[in-house]
Amino acid sequence: MKDTVISVENISKQYRLGAIGTGSLRQDLQVFWKKNILRQDPAFFKEVHAADHIWALDHVSFDVKQGEAVGIIGANGSGKSTLLKIISRIVQPTSGTVRGRGKISSILEVGTGFHYELSGRENIYMSGYTLGMQKQEIQKKFDEIVAFSGIEKFLDTPVKRYSSGMYVRLAFAVAAHLEPDILIVDEVLAVGDADFQKKCMGKMQSSSATDGRTILFVSHNLQAVENLCNRAIWLNKGKIADMGHTGAVVRSYLASTKTDLTGSHWEDPQTAPGNEFVRMKRITARAAGNEPFITVKTPVIIEAEMYCFVHDGDLNVNIELLSPSGESIFNIGCHSIKAEKAILALQVTIPADLLNNTSYGISLTVVKNYSQVLHEFYNCLSFEVEDVREGMYYYGVWPGLIRPAIDALFYVKDSF
Amino acid sequence: MKQPLEKNWDWEISSETSNWSWDLKSLLSYRHLLASLVRKEFLLNYQQTILGPGWILVQPLLTLVTYVLVFGMLIRIPTGEGVPPVLFYLSGIVLWNFFNDSFGTTSRTFREYIHIFTKVYFPRIIIPLATISTQFMRFLVQLGLLLLILLYYIFFRGFVIHWNWALVGAPLAVAGVGLISLGMGLIFSVLTAKYRDIVNIVDVGIRLLFFATPVVYPLALVREELRWIVKLNPLTPLFELFRLGVLGQGTVQTGDLVYSFGFMLITFLVSVYMFNKQGSKLIDVV
Repeated sequence: MKDTVISVENISKQYRLGAIGTGSLRQDLQVFWKKNILRQDPAFFKEVHAADHIWALDHVSFDVKQGEAVGIIGANGSGKSTLLKIISRIVQPTSGTVRGRGKISSILEVGTGFHYELSGRENIYMSGYTLGMQKQEIQKKFDEIVAFSGIEKFLDTPVKRYSSGMYVRLAFAVAAHLEPDILIVDEVLAVGDADFQKKCMGKMQSSSATDGRTILFVSHNLQAVENLCNRAIWLNKGKIADMGHTGAVVRSYLASTKTDLTGSHWEDPQTAPGNEFVRMKRITARAAGNEPFITVKTPVIIEAEMYCFVHDGDLNVNIELLSPSGESIFNIGCHSIKAEKAILALQVTIPADLLNNTSYGISLTVVKNYSQVLHEFYNCLSFEVEDVREGMYYYGVWPGLIRPAIDALFYVKDSF
Repeated sequence: MKQPLEKNWDWEISSETSNWSWDLKSLLSYRHLLASLVRKEFLLNYQQTILGPGWILVQPLLTLVTYVLVFGMLIRIPTGEGVPPVLFYLSGIVLWNFFNDSFGTTSRTFREYIHIFTKVYFPRIIIPLATISTQFMRFLVQLGLLLLILLYYIFFRGFVIHWNWALVGAPLAVAGVGLISLGMGLIFSVLTAKYRDIVNIVDVGIRLLFFATPVVYPLALVREELRWIVKLNPLTPLFELFRLGVLGQGTVQTGDLVYSFGFMLITFLVSVYMFNKQGSKLIDVV
């Protein structure tokens, strides 16, 4: 059994909202005067007390063992960054303790300690020292850092003259060459191009797998979390919602964010969206089978029910899939049925391995006698498709409006 | 961070800040950061300027010319017997600059470095230590200028100087001024970060303090019944001691010196305590 290197015990962090005690000496003195000298409890102070406090973290406990890569996921404002900042010693917890073993380095932003006026060379040292590196360490790795960033030619140019890409590459190169026992990384993959991201992920992966470095990693890129981390912690409103094997935690986190998102229904036939001919009763999208949410590997079932007020003629429906920007990707029809005053149901299954991981919209057009448009329910439903990429070393956005599973042949044909 | 109770942990983070435990080992491990911060200050100030580091000398010289013209020739404040006004003013300017710049820059620690403080941990005191080191080096250069001019006056203008025990006092006076400025700077860095209003008071306060410090006049010339006001300023005995040491002229009493160094000690202890205690809490506020 490996040693525990970080032990987080009952960490809570309370933040005060509003401006009390944060800006004006007069207010603080007033409160002090009323409370301590006049022995009153100022009303406004009490109100503030109750309403304007927020628990960013609420009794969070967990252990991290040596060599583990732990991903921390959760919605914005769930306390992920606060947790990292407490473990990095940047902010103090309101209560609880963190104990640990070994040297910690944290990369909470790209380019900490960089100064625009200084040259690339100066900045490598400046940033390295700020992040806790020693002089010999930087000197030893200097050439490696420069090579990793690929800015050799501009080493003595002030970084204010760098392009933003060069700046990010140099900044990340310094951070990537930190060799602490515990590395804390917050959402830094959001910057840089796909190629460079890949390089950085590779670097982190190897540092965890081969050098036995412990990594705490926060990212909104769940794909990156899944690839890098063997364990994940899901924070929800400052509490641990789930913890364990990364795949399982990511799936339950995704499932929680997806419920109720992709569907709506209207009970009153008179006020539901539509017109005097046809109105929408219900429209939903879900993954086929018992899958909790839609991924690129699950078929998508789209179901709609409509109130029909037309008695005569033939009706059919055009189903159109829209891209995130609203362009039509494809349009499918259906066979027609005889119109009658009833609830009509429609079901379409989009096969797996066709959609990309993005958000799609659906438009339904109800047509009478193949020519008269009764109503177009434009973009009446939108749904998200999540990504699944097992064993693939690419973390950037997959291009394209669709991602059909088409095999390409690639092989060694002959020697020449 | 404090030493954990259990033996098998290296470090522990909790809601309490230890009061005094400046972990010397961890401070020492950041000495290169301190050095490169000092280097940065020099590089930044003189990059893309024509005179470059020459400004360190030009600035006090320009001030000197102004003082000689305004206080010496226009208002005619006497500078005491035997001491050339140039030397008198320059010695005051050099020491006052050291105090003023050290206090000013250290008191802006939190406002200027908050973006780094919220992103990475290192002992926060490194920043004010680096700024005061920078100012001390500038002071040493300016002191060199003062000594050069002093030598010129001794060899070419027949200025006679009677050095005595106070020569030893001069470095002590510099140390006293430095520590008071650092201490006050630390206290006000916390206060101004918490209460923005205080920034305005500080600017005015420093300007008033200038006139309550014997920079452009000797203490001996202050009217007897008003002298207590100037003496209330703990910098006064230090400035007099400095001049006594370097130029052989100054009014220094042991009691005043005890007051100054006592003030220095208390300010320094209080400020380090306050900076340490409040430092990590301020991150949530600024």
